[in-house]
Amino acid sequence: MNTPAVAFVGALVLVGIGLVGTLTCRNLIKVAVALQIMMKGVLIALVAAGAAQGQINLGQSLAAIVLGVDTIGAVILLALSVQVRRRFGTLDVSALSQLRR
Amino acid sequence: MNAVPAFVWLIALPFVGAPLAYFSRRRWVIFGIIGALWVIFGLQLLQPRSTHYRVGEVNLGLDGAGVLLAGLALTLGTLIGVYSSAYLKHESGRARDRHDALLLILIGALLGLGCATDLFNLWLWLELLSGSAWMLVAFHGNRPAALEATVKYVTQSMVGSALSLIGVALTLWQVGSLDLARISTAGSSPLLLAAGGFLVIGMGLKAALVPLHTWLPDAHSQAPSGVSALLSGIVVEAALVALLRLLGALAAVEFSWGALLIGCGCLNLIMGNLMALRQSEIKRMLAYSSVAQVGYMLIGFGITALSGDPGGAQGAFFHLITHALLKGLAFLAAGVMAVGLVRPLTLADLGGGAKRAPLAAMALSVAVLGLGGLPPLAGFMSKWQIFVSGFAGSPGWVQAVVIFAALNSVLSLVYYAPVALALYRQTDTTATRVAQPVSFSLPLLVMLLVSLLLGFVPGLMETLTGEAGAVLGSLWVP
Repeated sequence: MNTPAVAFVGALVLVGIGLVGTLTCRNLIKVAVALQIMMKGVLIALVAAGAAQGQINLGQSLAAIVLGVDTIGAVILLALSVQVRRRFGTLDVSALSQLRR
Repeated sequence: MNAVPAFVWLIALPFVGAPLAYFSRRRWVIFGIIGALWVIFGLQLLQPRSTHYRVGEVNLGLDGAGVLLAGLALTLGTLIGVYSSAYLKHESGRARDRHDALLLILIGALLGLGCATDLFNLWLWLELLSGSAWMLVAFHGNRPAALEATVKYVTQSMVGSALSLIGVALTLWQVGSLDLARISTAGSSPLLLAAGGFLVIGMGLKAALVPLHTWLPDAHSQAPSGVSALLSGIVVEAALVALLRLLGALAAVEFSWGALLIGCGCLNLIMGNLMALRQSEIKRMLAYSSVAQVGYMLIGFGITALSGDPGGAQGAFFHLITHALLKGLAFLAAGVMAVGLVRPLTLADLGGGAKRAPLAAMALSVAVLGLGGLPPLAGFMSKWQIFVSGFAGSPGWVQAVVIFAALNSVLSLVYYAPVALALYRQTDTTATRVAQPVSFSLPLLVMLLVSLLLGFVPGLMETLTGEAGAVLGSLWVP
């Protein structure tokens, strides 16, 4: 396998780890970290896909934009975590169950 | 300057205007910007369709579907801007400024999404749309329920965006370009099929395809009413249009996307209706009914994807318009009914509603009955159009699906009709009329009249929906 293909498989593994983490973690901060792992996997995938096509600049510029967007997501989620800790007294996502109907 | 078409200003202006609205702390700024947007939109309509503008690698273009989305976004945005003047009266000035700025960003993202012609742009605008929607859902972030809804919305939405990016990367790997027109000529390959799968899951999350819909009822019921109207009326549907555009580019892949869309549509119908039946909170019921209504659109678009006949997409676009108006109207009217309540509005609170707020009661009744598909209201006309296209030359199983959808429409009346009944049943004899501010009555009246008009003269939107349907239909020609 060539380098981009190895990188792409690695990226998919990272996304998988992140996805499992998002689904299994109970702590909201850990969920935010798992989502970041997922997004970082995506960044590698984009750059690898660009490199495989000989358009590393395209892949990298996409990755740079995604980096900005997912940082916004992370900031919002962490800000929400602060609010959740204040209102619910815990970061456990299972405490967020008022709306389960 | 003549090289820059009007729609580029249309996209740019909200993003310039949002900080302006936030920092100037003047409410008229948002109306000034929305007014300017209408002028630019009008100018753009005078120009020939399918104008394009290229900035480096990014190609923006406005076609029929984009015009429809833009018109709807501006209409709802304007009415909700007016509505929120009274709705947010008791909020602090800072909160109102935040609401206005986010509303402008949301409108801008909707306008941009309509103009995106490549995969990455579709993703980016959708992300911007979600971002502003998160913040708007979190408007009452000091309430635990709103906080919970936002956390669910943000986490699920981020998982969706990561998965759709994997689809983007796979497409880039296979095709070497993200331009939708280039992708559509790339033929079929397993890698593109996988990309399609990731994109359907990722964007399907934002378009609330069952079983990826679980964030929607929470988010839409906890947002301020005006925001719920926007979210249910157009944000989810815009994600759906984005999904269809990219599936259209993957039409050459050997997989029946049409059958997938129709299948998801059936799931949405039955799940949305059954869950809505169980709700006693009005806004939550309306949110679940949005899940069901997306099902009709999915079936309409699916029919087009199966056969290439633009009739299904045309009906689905018409349903998109009528749903946006009726669901928007229902949420706004429910918001008026809920004024002064600290807990969520339930069916029991509606008793005597027709005496307290006659216009809102009328609006809510027309909206829910229209959504339930009672002829001759607008919701019936648009569903009818979808059903007719389903019967025209489709295979037997599609016709069975259409009958199933029609039965679901009857089922939905089981939860819509009690709302209208409760409003007009005279249980509360002490109820007296409460004067409503103009900024409540005006949007309700406008939407009520337009939705009634659309019911009686459904041909009014034919040019608009015809063009939009043709855009999507042309992608699926077998």
